[in-house]
Amino acid sequence: MWLFLLKRSALAVLIVILAVTALYLMIHAIPGDPASIILGPRATDEMKAALYIKMGLDQPVYMQLLSFFGNILSGDLGYDVFSQRDVSDIVFEQLPWTLALIFCAIVWAALVGIPLGCYSAIYANTWFDTITGIISVGTIAIPSFVVAIYSLLIFSVTLHWLPAIGAGERGDVLSQLEHLILPAFAVGLGWVGYISRLVRSSMLEVLGSNHIRTAKAFGLPSRWITFRYALRLAILPTVTLLGVGIGYLLSASLFAEIVFARPGIGKLIFDAVSTRNYPVVMGAVLVTTALFVIATTLADFINALLDPRMRAKR
Amino acid sequence: MTIKKLHKKIKLSRRSLMLASAVIGLNLIAPFTLAASSDQVLQSRSYLDITSLDPSNYLNAVDEDVMGAIYSKLIYFKPGNKWEWELQAAESIEQIDDTHIKFTLKKGIKFSGGFGEMTTEDVKFSFERAAFGENPAAAADWGGALKEVQIVDKYTGIIVLNKPYQPLWNLALTYAAGNIISKKGFESVGSFTNKPPASSGPYIVKEWRPKQKVVLERNPDYYGEAAPYKEIHINQIDDEKTAEIAFESGNLDVTRISMSSVQSYRDNPPSNSQLQIYPSLFYVWLGINSENPKLQDKRVRQAIQYAVDIPSIMQASYFGEAKPSTGILAPGLLGHREKSMIAPQADLAKAKALMAEAGVNSLELELDVLNKATNVTTAQVIQALLSQIGIKVNINQHEAGSFWTLGSEKAGDRWKNIELIINRYSMVPDPAYAAVNHTSAQKGIWNWERFSNAEYDQLNEQARSEADTDKRGAMYQRMQDLMEESGSFRFITHEAQPMAVRNNVSAGLRPDGRPLYRHFKPAN
Repeated sequence: MWLFLLKRSALAVLIVILAVTALYLMIHAIPGDPASIILGPRATDEMKAALYIKMGLDQPVYMQLLSFFGNILSGDLGYDVFSQRDVSDIVFEQLPWTLALIFCAIVWAALVGIPLGCYSAIYANTWFDTITGIISVGTIAIPSFVVAIYSLLIFSVTLHWLPAIGAGERGDVLSQLEHLILPAFAVGLGWVGYISRLVRSSMLEVLGSNHIRTAKAFGLPSRWITFRYALRLAILPTVTLLGVGIGYLLSASLFAEIVFARPGIGKLIFDAVSTRNYPVVMGAVLVTTALFVIATTLADFINALLDPRMRAKR
Repeated sequence: MTIKKLHKKIKLSRRSLMLASAVIGLNLIAPFTLAASSDQVLQSRSYLDITSLDPSNYLNAVDEDVMGAIYSKLIYFKPGNKWEWELQAAESIEQIDDTHIKFTLKKGIKFSGGFGEMTTEDVKFSFERAAFGENPAAAADWGGALKEVQIVDKYTGIIVLNKPYQPLWNLALTYAAGNIISKKGFESVGSFTNKPPASSGPYIVKEWRPKQKVVLERNPDYYGEAAPYKEIHINQIDDEKTAEIAFESGNLDVTRISMSSVQSYRDNPPSNSQLQIYPSLFYVWLGINSENPKLQDKRVRQAIQYAVDIPSIMQASYFGEAKPSTGILAPGLLGHREKSMIAPQADLAKAKALMAEAGVNSLELELDVLNKATNVTTAQVIQALLSQIGIKVNINQHEAGSFWTLGSEKAGDRWKNIELIINRYSMVPDPAYAAVNHTSAQKGIWNWERFSNAEYDQLNEQARSEADTDKRGAMYQRMQDLMEESGSFRFITHEAQPMAVRNNVSAGLRPDGRPLYRHFKPAN
């Protein structure tokens, strides 16, 4: 088990380094000059040159990259000349908003999607299965931004039940939760469909397996069989999906941050790329890549815990 | 009692649990939605986050929107439809001669945070720091014209210029670099960005939540009448459609709306609100690169000027809510031209004649444009119009980071490939601000048409120091004539600034619709 964990961790570090390097090269390859964008039309050449030196852009790209990774080892994500603040402050200020959104979206999607998938499998080929199938595919098919806009129009503009913008008052958990309802609903709705479909197909496979038939023969209650034995195996692909899903939502949350005018890491990266604010892009991407890798590694780890066969294979 | 027993006792089914949760949830939410409508708090919107509230380091107009509420300047713009300034921290101000301006401060202007009364020392510190600092925006506002601020006594001082500088009145003193900060306050912290140690305006910064909002609160130490709002929340919302939804849901009291929504707001305004449309200062034009081999013949450039029908663009891109411009200076500004040399309506016959005269039957050109809906629509209209005179136009859309360096010689060779470009520059109320962008010295920096005219350059220098307003205005009019004559510019519009304002808010806005937060108050 420990060897498995060690191998996955080493792989995770390698993935982070490769991803960040690739992005660093890409952002330098696209046209755009941070000094012109940051300093505006009235900057002199001297002012631009001074900014280049401050940002370390006078160095060759490979030197900048080495220096970036060198600083990471000492816990320094860099300095944003634009706002004159540490990149780590900027990134970790925005990250909790995105994590809260992703967490709520995934949790509600799982809480609805998993039971829906289970019952669809148990009542396979009945009217209940047909209806949940239609709903599930429907939620997958509707783009999240459409859900976001319509939910805003219904619950904010027409009914005035929920706030349209922002992330709530600082230190006021209820206010923050209130501001999370619509964004989490919009981001998570598509995942309800994904999860329920995945759980359904896994459950159908597991419910037909020998050990489930044996359990039934022993006369165990069907609910006990479903949730205690079948779901434990059927949930494995879903855990993997959720791990990947968290990583995917780190970037997909951008639309929610724009539509609901919420702070967050997606909007931070988007703005930073637009202004070619390299230190913030690099810091934010490093953190999100690391989180993505952690989430998928954690999913693998949970899979291994739930399924002894996987541990044995590795 | 175990949970199981408790469950049996109260007979809580799943359905009743979900129903109870929903009821509890809605009860939790209700007080918060009601609380948001407090009339003591103004909810406004900005399209950008603030970058710095240090006047010497400001970068964008939103910084000044906030600084205008928390600091004092010697003089400041008045809200309304006319560009005028009024005394603010100054009790009096007069121009002694071309290079000396004497001012006397009002007595009793206090800085918050216990940093004492505003004195000439603070004015000297603030102005010299801005004018001689490293920030291009603040330094450019002073235009290299400030020599020093002389201290006569605690309240009186003299601004000494090293050359006559007319933008002083509508730019240096009235805009961001004219904000006066506390010298003692600054020295107590060494540097600051978004948490000013001391303020002297009617509001102070209560909180800055990056990428979310700036919260201003009433300054208890303000020397004048207490601010009408307990708090002003300036919410950062990039997207105008999101801002409109926020306004319609009651989360905002004032916001700029998109041009495409003007008609619906006019016909069917959201409850308790009104639409106010202000003429913007931005200037939009079709740039034609005079050095590009395909466009070196002036007749070809002029053919393009004549073929572009501005009224069609006004309808398609601005929904008929903006007016054609006559140059780079909007109506109401010094140097504004009443008419352009080429009429806004296209003259296809003349355009075709010019093409024939130049011996060009067909031409293929690239049109670079920022990937915003309005600009792209404008590009498509131009594409259709130019096809009528035998010019095939390919539209290249760019995201902001790429677009804003297209014409920069320091950012690669892309400037050489510019043929046609739709550009949009921001503006302040002094003509010098815009005129400098089109000088020969700006070729390869912000002059992407590579327009070069010795008379223009000379007039640009002279106009900055011309004290006679009429003469100065005539100079800028002539400069716009030269731009148009060159064939490198087809002026399109100054756009418009449509503002949705709640009826219970009296919005203190500049003539171009930008907020002067210290002048906002509840409407009677």
